[in-house]
Amino acid sequence: MTTTDTMPKAKSRLWTPENKPVVIASGCIVVILAIGTAYTLATQGTATLLSPGYMLQQLQVGSFLGIVAAGMMLVILLGHIDLSVPWTVAASAMMATAFGGAAALPVGLSVGLAVGLVNGLGVAYLRIPSMIFTLGVNAVMRGLMVAYTGGFAPQTAATPLMQYLAVGKILGIPVALFVWAAVSVLVVFILRKTPVGRYIFAIGNRESAAYLAGAPTRWVIVFAFGLCGMMAGLSGTLLAGYSTKAYQGMGDAYLLPAIAAVVIGGTHILGGRGRYLGTLVGVILIVLLNSVLSIMQMPEAGRQVIYGSVIILMLLFYDRGRQERQ
Amino acid sequence: MTPDGQTDRGLKTAPSAHMSLTGITKRYGGVTALENVNFSCDLGSIHAVLGENGAGKSTLIKIMSGVVTPDEGRMMLDGREVTFSGPSAANDAGIVCIFQELSLMPDLSVADNIMIADPPRRFGLIDKRAQKRRAEELLARIGCEDVNPLNRVRDLPLSRRQMVEIAKALAKDPTVLILDEATSALTSSDVDRVFEILRKLRDDGISILSISHRMHEIEAVADMCSVFRNGHNVETFRQGTRSAEEIVQMMIGREISAHFPPKPDKDLATQGAAPPVLQVRNFAWENVLQGIDLSVRKGEIVGLGGLDGQGQKELLLGLFGVLKSTSGTIEINGKPVSIRSPIDAKRAGVDIALVPEDRKTEGLMLPMSISDNLSIASLSRMSNGIMLDQNALESSVAEAVRRMQIKIGNKSDAVSTLSGGNQQKVVIAKWLMTDPKIILLNDPTRGIDVGTKQEIYLLLRELAKEGAAIVLYSTDYEELIGCCDRVAVMYDGQIVRELAGSEITERNIISSALNIEEAAQ
Repeated sequence: MTTTDTMPKAKSRLWTPENKPVVIASGCIVVILAIGTAYTLATQGTATLLSPGYMLQQLQVGSFLGIVAAGMMLVILLGHIDLSVPWTVAASAMMATAFGGAAALPVGLSVGLAVGLVNGLGVAYLRIPSMIFTLGVNAVMRGLMVAYTGGFAPQTAATPLMQYLAVGKILGIPVALFVWAAVSVLVVFILRKTPVGRYIFAIGNRESAAYLAGAPTRWVIVFAFGLCGMMAGLSGTLLAGYSTKAYQGMGDAYLLPAIAAVVIGGTHILGGRGRYLGTLVGVILIVLLNSVLSIMQMPEAGRQVIYGSVIILMLLFYDRGRQERQ
Repeated sequence: MTPDGQTDRGLKTAPSAHMSLTGITKRYGGVTALENVNFSCDLGSIHAVLGENGAGKSTLIKIMSGVVTPDEGRMMLDGREVTFSGPSAANDAGIVCIFQELSLMPDLSVADNIMIADPPRRFGLIDKRAQKRRAEELLARIGCEDVNPLNRVRDLPLSRRQMVEIAKALAKDPTVLILDEATSALTSSDVDRVFEILRKLRDDGISILSISHRMHEIEAVADMCSVFRNGHNVETFRQGTRSAEEIVQMMIGREISAHFPPKPDKDLATQGAAPPVLQVRNFAWENVLQGIDLSVRKGEIVGLGGLDGQGQKELLLGLFGVLKSTSGTIEINGKPVSIRSPIDAKRAGVDIALVPEDRKTEGLMLPMSISDNLSIASLSRMSNGIMLDQNALESSVAEAVRRMQIKIGNKSDAVSTLSGGNQQKVVIAKWLMTDPKIILLNDPTRGIDVGTKQEIYLLLRELAKEGAAIVLYSTDYEELIGCCDRVAVMYDGQIVRELAGSEITERNIISSALNIEEAAQ
């Protein structure tokens, strides 16, 4: 009796259009874990994937992506995109290691912030579409870094603080996870508790209406891009700490997964709609998918195909839901 | 009639009922948009559907044109039951809808637009010549031979675009043509032309269904009328058998005493000593506005009149800081101010609000919640610099909903779920939450039902009494006459005449709008 009464209720509460992407993505994570565990049980006789140590290690790797995705989400919510992430990550890492010492972390963040502000100013004031402008900025940053390093990996090493933040542990939990958590709290706070957060959603839905309501639309765009750049800078600095040095192309693997994580998490690619929880789940999904595929010793080519297909399939599911609602 | 009705399917059921709906019910979440509605339209007649916004008219035509499926009920077309999986299925069955917002693509040619759904093909490619020929035929059918099918739609005036829209609908060979406020953007001479076309199409045997808020247009063109209220078809009757008062009565379901709230006594108008709150001197912008002088006193409603497109809209936007490089001076309470963006206009000491022309693209973020839309203009007042004060926000949203009597289910519902009139109330309420001293309104009652119009008139007068200075642009002369203490009539970017008190008559407004005195001098 009671179960029949409460079950549909619980289901309908969980199955709101808002929750749907999060629920689907979470389900996907369970499936990926199940398949991976079945594989390891069959081949090695152990459930490696489910051990806490392995999980924490994956989350540690995922935190670099998670930090980039957090910033990317703000920009996507505006209806824009930041394609300058790869070389923002690399430039921050290179500058941070080049300066070294106590200045390393602030310099890494500042480089990211500066690139982000340039993006924001270009999009908000010059009115250049973000897809073009940030792509251009990415190329410029790449050129600058190649000129600076001569095309080789810089010889400088990451500072101890950078290494600690990336690979250190507190009570057995990687410090990088705490950094990711702090970034997450900041983004959730901005989106839910501040006027800026409301303006971000408003601009993503209808910029003209937000502008005519007296919202500081340009300022908000610059802010979001600046924060996104700074997150990329933070991630780059940590990444340099993780691999103890900076190198060419170190950010290349972060652009598409970051966008994918945000979109898989249910944020509308044209802006205006989305929840941070979804982005979080999206990041975890992508990291686990990658790791399971590598455990299964899937060749790189096959990995790319599966990776891409999963993203497309999930988005298909979401869009089907949208049509049903209309 | 043959016994089996083989020869004339249209006459098989009730006398010439071409399309009929029986027991139609449609719910959106907790809101019932239509409840057990019976409706039918006849072959070769023009059927007007009236009702306040939210009465269920839009849902009715969405069901008929396959945009939404009803929860209950049956639809019959030519005596056979039909269900539509989507708008294209309805099109195939001969039901074509012209929606309120123009659906033309501005950068494509007229011919491209007309034939967009099914362009003539040759070897699988679009046959441009056949397409042009077909477009010419269709344009000729509605008396628009002068429109070149190869012109871009962007280059056509609004009235011509509406004609193209009709031609586009005809390209689908409709037997039922539905118009959703298709005339609301047209001037009266263009409206006459559209009516002529509608009558011609009716005589060709097309059933026409027209939704409109303009009573005299319905009187001019309709054969049958149906009045909707709260999701019910209140009554269907032959046009001319009910008076306008009776129809209005049916629509609102309550007695309306006066159309407009009373104006204050003359003493306010003659109270020339009171300094103006808003004083505009020699205001100009590009070629559109020239030498505008305008003053508005506290407690006064000043109307902007004239034909559409004489610079009224630009004047309001200019005062609100939206236009770049305007010249002239704006003084608020005697102090010159510089207003270069809506943020400046909203600043304390300036306190201007603007209710923009198009609520769907300029006034609201449609997918966002009612509460978010209401609070968007006053977020800075409800935060301590960084964080929002949720309590203050909630209580002021509740206060706004109460004051404007906005009919809502839940304030976290998307604002797009509200009817047009309630959406407009949200736009106005959003600005009232900023405590404006000067309120600019750009045609705030366009496309809104009678009842909500009344409420807006009352509200404006109430706000004026509380000390606001109001500038109201309206395309409806009756509204200017009924609401305004003064009317500034614009012509070609200038204020050609200011009317006050008893001078505000339709005759004076129209003659000034056409700049007749000016020509005589």
